[in-house]
Amino acid sequence: MPQGAYLRLLLFFLGPAVLVYTLFSIYPLLATILNSFYSRQSDGSHLWAGLGNFHTLLLDPTWSGPFWNALKNNVIFFLIHMSVQNPIGLLLAALLSLPRLRFRATYRTLIFMPTMLSVVVIGFVWQLILSPLWGIARMFLNFFGLGFLFAPWLGVESSALITVSLISVWQFVGIPMILIYTALLAIPDELIDAATVDGLNQFQAFMWVKLPLIWPTIGLVSILTFVNNFNAFDLIYAMKGALAGPNFSTDIMGTLFYRTFFGNQLQLGNPAMGSAIATMMLIIILIGVMAYLFLVQRRIQRYSF
Amino acid sequence: MAEVVIGKLSKSFGAVEVLKDIDLAVEDGSFVVLVGPSGCGKSTLLRSIAGLEPVTGGSISIGGREVNGLAPAQRGIAMVFQSYALYPHMDVAANMGFGLKFAGAPKAEIAARVQEAARILQLEPLLKRRPRELSGGQRQRVAIGRAIVRKPQVFLFDEPLSNLDAALRVNTRVEIARLHKMLAATIVYVTHDQVEAMTLADKIVVMNHGRIEQQGKPLDLYYRPANLFVAGFIGSPAMNFLKGEAVAGGVGLGADGLISLPLPPGTAPGAHVTLGIRPEHMRIAAGEGGLRLPATVDLVERLGETGFVHLRLASGAVAIAEIRGETGLKTGDRTHVALDPARLHLFGADGRRLG
Repeated sequence: MPQGAYLRLLLFFLGPAVLVYTLFSIYPLLATILNSFYSRQSDGSHLWAGLGNFHTLLLDPTWSGPFWNALKNNVIFFLIHMSVQNPIGLLLAALLSLPRLRFRATYRTLIFMPTMLSVVVIGFVWQLILSPLWGIARMFLNFFGLGFLFAPWLGVESSALITVSLISVWQFVGIPMILIYTALLAIPDELIDAATVDGLNQFQAFMWVKLPLIWPTIGLVSILTFVNNFNAFDLIYAMKGALAGPNFSTDIMGTLFYRTFFGNQLQLGNPAMGSAIATMMLIIILIGVMAYLFLVQRRIQRYSF
Repeated sequence: MAEVVIGKLSKSFGAVEVLKDIDLAVEDGSFVVLVGPSGCGKSTLLRSIAGLEPVTGGSISIGGREVNGLAPAQRGIAMVFQSYALYPHMDVAANMGFGLKFAGAPKAEIAARVQEAARILQLEPLLKRRPRELSGGQRQRVAIGRAIVRKPQVFLFDEPLSNLDAALRVNTRVEIARLHKMLAATIVYVTHDQVEAMTLADKIVVMNHGRIEQQGKPLDLYYRPANLFVAGFIGSPAMNFLKGEAVAGGVGLGADGLISLPLPPGTAPGAHVTLGIRPEHMRIAAGEGGLRLPATVDLVERLGETGFVHLRLASGAVAIAEIRGETGLKTGDRTHVALDPARLHLFGADGRRLG
């Protein structure tokens, strides 16, 4: 093929993807990073500030308090997903792959359903369920004689973040379940037969044969959880608004960024500081992903059957 | 080692019967091959012996002990799977010792037995490798090694050679035969390849539709097939079948004329019968007389020293005859084919052998 024709072909097939990706992903990313190095003056002009915005964000008490609070909350948000969502996803996947299970497709669909619903709907529904005034959660607990356990969980500082996290877990548990279930299906039946002949029961076969073979998928699920959690915004915004109450106890990086960049109530929008927060989010995610790639991914073996 | 006795074994999936009244005895130290077309139940039978499939009725005993209620690991069996089924995340030594580890054997004993099996199969240099670093033939040897390490009373092989290429298949077949002699092992072996069945077996069990059609020594099945199914299944190319009816002094084949042969007593004249003859017992011969039938050559397949001629007889029936050496036959030639009267098989309307 002549070189000119080859280049035209290259442009034809790669051009649209490169264009869209550059326009909507690379350019905003670079522009955000660039923006974080300027500060806006009251007359609307931009002034080079170097790392000044980051200095303010991390060290000025007015800014660093909310920042560290949001980061701490975000870490808790992530840890709850890692320790609740992913183990439950794994358990559900293991149960779904039991050979003698009936209504498999029904369970799979029902568990995956919340993932497909809008976050706004999920947030609203759970707010109604948990409402201390008319929520069914209280009636439900009363029915079992456990009414004394009820508290306005979403409205109490100490429990709001955990509650919101668990709602998010409930919504997204279908994703680790489906990914791990698919990985389990790829393990040939003969391998489990061999383990049975070797004297392993179902549980032992899972622990000693299946689990080691799905570590790559569990790794993938973990890193997806990490990235999604540190980019999270919508559920908190839908349930608690941009102020992430009570008293910022559910404030995470996404909501902090939103308030800072666009402004909220008495707070004026500050695109420069907003960009600095966005850049910090990028750096945090980058560090997490790189740590995973270099420390974990390399040690995980992938298997083909 | 031990014998396996199966009595009145049956198995159904819902309304579908996959095994019906299987009676089979595998003598101590013998090599029994289960053959049959796919879906005939041979793998299900093997998996039932292993305990991987629950059975619906009947009994299985290994070494005089009924094993119906026992888990696979307690039956004294070891199994070699078609896809090898090696644990991808363990090296060869761990793969071979895994069963013993779970049985709680001391480490030193596991190591010694793995070493012993590795020596027998020449796997010593590969012990620290992972399955994916092995070739297909090496993986198969590891799978066999994993079975040997267990020191089972019975070895079960489920189509162990079908994932190997042709040359390796021959080598591994020879190796399995060698191992059988060396270990004096009782082996039940499933295959759909009749060459494997003929060369390896002390006893072949031909299965079809969940039943045993015939069991016996390989050459007995070849020379005296009990019914049309076995006659057609054993031998390649398959036996030729000519439909006709019993008449006085022989079998009338319609347009192909009369084949005169002594009919077994009790054959009613006019009964529908099928005449069977293997390609290697037919000769292309010009001229008339004897058991000769006129035929037209449809196709000649040359394999070298031997070859096969596809013939169309006067009645429109087709047959394959083996030829040796150069014949100069070509498509469209009119010729005659001579049947060896001593090698004719006669089957009744119900498919059973007559006489």
